[in-house]
Amino acid sequence: MMTTWALKADHVSKQFPDGTLALEQIDWAVEEGETMALIGESGSGKTTLLRLLNRLAEPTTGTIVVQGKPAASQDPIRLRRSLGYVPQDGGLFPHWTIKRNVCLVPHLLNWSAEDQDDQFQHLMQLINLDAAQMAERYPIELSGGQRQRVAVARALGANPAIVLLDEPFGALDPLTRQELQHQFLTLKQRIQKTMVIITHDLPEAFKLADRITVLKKGHIHQVGTPEALVKTPATSYVQSLIESHGSSW
Amino acid sequence: MVRVRTLHRRKGFFRDSLRTPILLFTSLLFLTVNGLWIPTASGEKIITVGSKNFMENRLLAELFAQLIESRTDLTVLRRLGLAGTQVCFEALKTGGIDLYPEYTGTGLVTILGGEPMNNPTEVLNRVRSQFLQRWNLWWLTPLGFDNSYALALRRDRAQELGVRTLSDLARIAPTLKAGFGYEFMKRPDGLPGLQETYGLQFREVVGMQQTLKYQATANGDIDLLDVYTTDGRLSVYDFLILEDDQRFFPPYDATALVRGDTLERYPELAAVLSLLTNALTREQMRKWNLLVQEQGQPVTQVARQILEDLQLVADQEPGSPTYHQQPSQSLFAYMWHLRGTLAMRTWEHLGLAGLGLLLGIALAIPLGLLLERWRTGAETMIRIIGMSQTIPSIALLAFMIPLFGVGTFPAIMALWIYSLFPILRNTFSGLRDAAPNVVETGRALGMTEWQILRSVRLPLAAPTIMAGVRTSAIWTLGTATLAAFIGAGGLGVPIVAGLQLADVNLILSGALPATILALAVDALLAWVETIVKPQGLDPVR
Ligand SMILES: Nc1ncnc2c1ncn2[C@@H]1O[C@H](COP(=O)(O)OP(=O)(O)OP(=O)(O)O)[C@@H](O)[C@H]1O
Ligand SMILES: [Mg+2]
Repeated sequence: MMTTWALKADHVSKQFPDGTLALEQIDWAVEEGETMALIGESGSGKTTLLRLLNRLAEPTTGTIVVQGKPAASQDPIRLRRSLGYVPQDGGLFPHWTIKRNVCLVPHLLNWSAEDQDDQFQHLMQLINLDAAQMAERYPIELSGGQRQRVAVARALGANPAIVLLDEPFGALDPLTRQELQHQFLTLKQRIQKTMVIITHDLPEAFKLADRITVLKKGHIHQVGTPEALVKTPATSYVQSLIESHGSSW
Repeated sequence: MVRVRTLHRRKGFFRDSLRTPILLFTSLLFLTVNGLWIPTASGEKIITVGSKNFMENRLLAELFAQLIESRTDLTVLRRLGLAGTQVCFEALKTGGIDLYPEYTGTGLVTILGGEPMNNPTEVLNRVRSQFLQRWNLWWLTPLGFDNSYALALRRDRAQELGVRTLSDLARIAPTLKAGFGYEFMKRPDGLPGLQETYGLQFREVVGMQQTLKYQATANGDIDLLDVYTTDGRLSVYDFLILEDDQRFFPPYDATALVRGDTLERYPELAAVLSLLTNALTREQMRKWNLLVQEQGQPVTQVARQILEDLQLVADQEPGSPTYHQQPSQSLFAYMWHLRGTLAMRTWEHLGLAGLGLLLGIALAIPLGLLLERWRTGAETMIRIIGMSQTIPSIALLAFMIPLFGVGTFPAIMALWIYSLFPILRNTFSGLRDAAPNVVETGRALGMTEWQILRSVRLPLAAPTIMAGVRTSAIWTLGTATLAAFIGAGGLGVPIVAGLQLADVNLILSGALPATILALAVDALLAWVETIVKPQGLDPVR
């Protein structure tokens, strides 16, 4: 049986100029169409790994492969336009309208105005927001939850095959967070994309992801389905992580 | 639905954020260039008369100007009150002015740097030949009086002591207390040379300011003082000028110093100005100086009186508009009276400051963009430009003279340098600190650095940049008042003249419009700030 890897890291290490070793000899892969959660305590290297994928950072050693081709051999600008990205705070341009924000990548790719209009309608419908009402508003005129959904829509702007999300729901209150997680699941079913989602929160990872990667201090402790993590925790760290959340799922 | 902005209509998706500021910039440029434009009918024959910044020199310049106006068809522009000999002379050499009143001794000692000589004819011949050879500048025939240094003491005291000459003085000097000007105590043709020639040794020498010396001598606090021989106060105080029997003091014969090519173009100038040959004595000059120096009469009026006295007036039309002092008038009546002139000065002022500022914007913003790209050198560069701010503005203006002469151009250059720093610093830090998380997201979504700069950093930094522009605008408007010292006009002209005459109304007639102008410009820029500030940064009102 042959698996297609959407994303792959081979023997990847990342050391910053100040000597910090953020990732050490990582071997890691994400299947086509699956949702992979990255979980780990603060400073464990989650964001660093994500940034290597869209070449916002370069690995010190090893190779990153995106859709079968080494990332290093791809033009970074084109690569990034083919990868959706959602930061923790949404990162919407405050001085741009919602429509302009959502259509950023289509615009960068020189889509026609009609195609951009259609895409905007489509994406707003996906995230359950009223396109006509939102189009001319500025981010500041939206609630935190709405902003985060718009950020997701923007990441999906030009139909990327892969979407990277760095703690997309991290800054929201618990209720909004639950609602967005729920919407995310619906969305996931409808669009069937490869997704990498960073989270601090094990229940969130269990709820949203097909597989989970547990990172600690730049090392991968385990990659597996939620059941695998529960039934056969690979290290005592994974076990303690599961146990500390035992009651909440 | 109030307005639907769709992407169809917004071809310049990225560009529209820059359109408004560029439009404003161009219209401001247009306005201020207009401000500097001096309306002249084409084919009009114009000459420019300059003067130094003391009263006798202004008076003589005005005298020349009125005589030329009444006897020729030339239009005379006045650049009166330039800051000292060097400025006037540079202006003459570079053609900023066509003529100004100068003294033969100054030509010899200060400009040529020659040894003092004491025969007036020799000095005149010397400066004439040297100035012709070197710069094609012409010394016309002297006006008849010389304004040199002399020592004086109260007449009754002189009789009591039995002194009439400097040689007499030398004998009794060790018993006397002298009050001298600071410059006089330093100059080789002042006290040091005098002591050497006559062997003068005083009991005590105190440095004193000009006005105080006269009073102190009259009171008997000091025994003697140094004077300029045509000082108006000498016709008020009963002082005896000691005869320079060994002819130590170099002669300072006053006359017009004129550009050769101006004389070639308008040969009638030499003939007209020669009407003043030997026309004025020392005593007469003291009397005229007294009128402007002490009684605050405007130079235009006194110059006219001199011409009438000499019976040289051709027509009876009043002279050009200038500052009249009428002590009984209220400030506002006074300013209303001068409204034409003040409006012109305000316009000039706006032109100077505006052009300096616009040039500053044109250099500092691109430089800020460049430095933001090239961070390593940025701090050093900004610090170097910041240093230009620490040069006192009057010194910066003075540095411009050897490079660009006098007048509008060097003033604009100096104001330009002055305006750079606040704009540069704000552009740099505004761009550097513009919402880093948003910038990072733009990058992650595949915007190029250029697109990020143009569509994200620049619009978000615009309010900060604009704040820098506002700071610069206020500085530039303030500094522009000093431009009068190098003959660039503006509202500094009445301020500087008022300071010399200690005329509060005159000072305020410049200072008040300057303040109002600064407030108005600041208000205008505050409005521009709200325009360049992108929408969406503030909650909806
Ligand atoms: N630009 C950088 N220079 C130096 N060290 C860095 C840099 N970026 C990250 N690091 C270090 O690398 C390590 C991993 O950082 P990373 O941001 O990947 O953590 P994270 O798992 O995303 O943490 P969090 O959950 O807090 O976001 C940390 O020790 C961090 O301090
Ligand atoms: Mg992180």
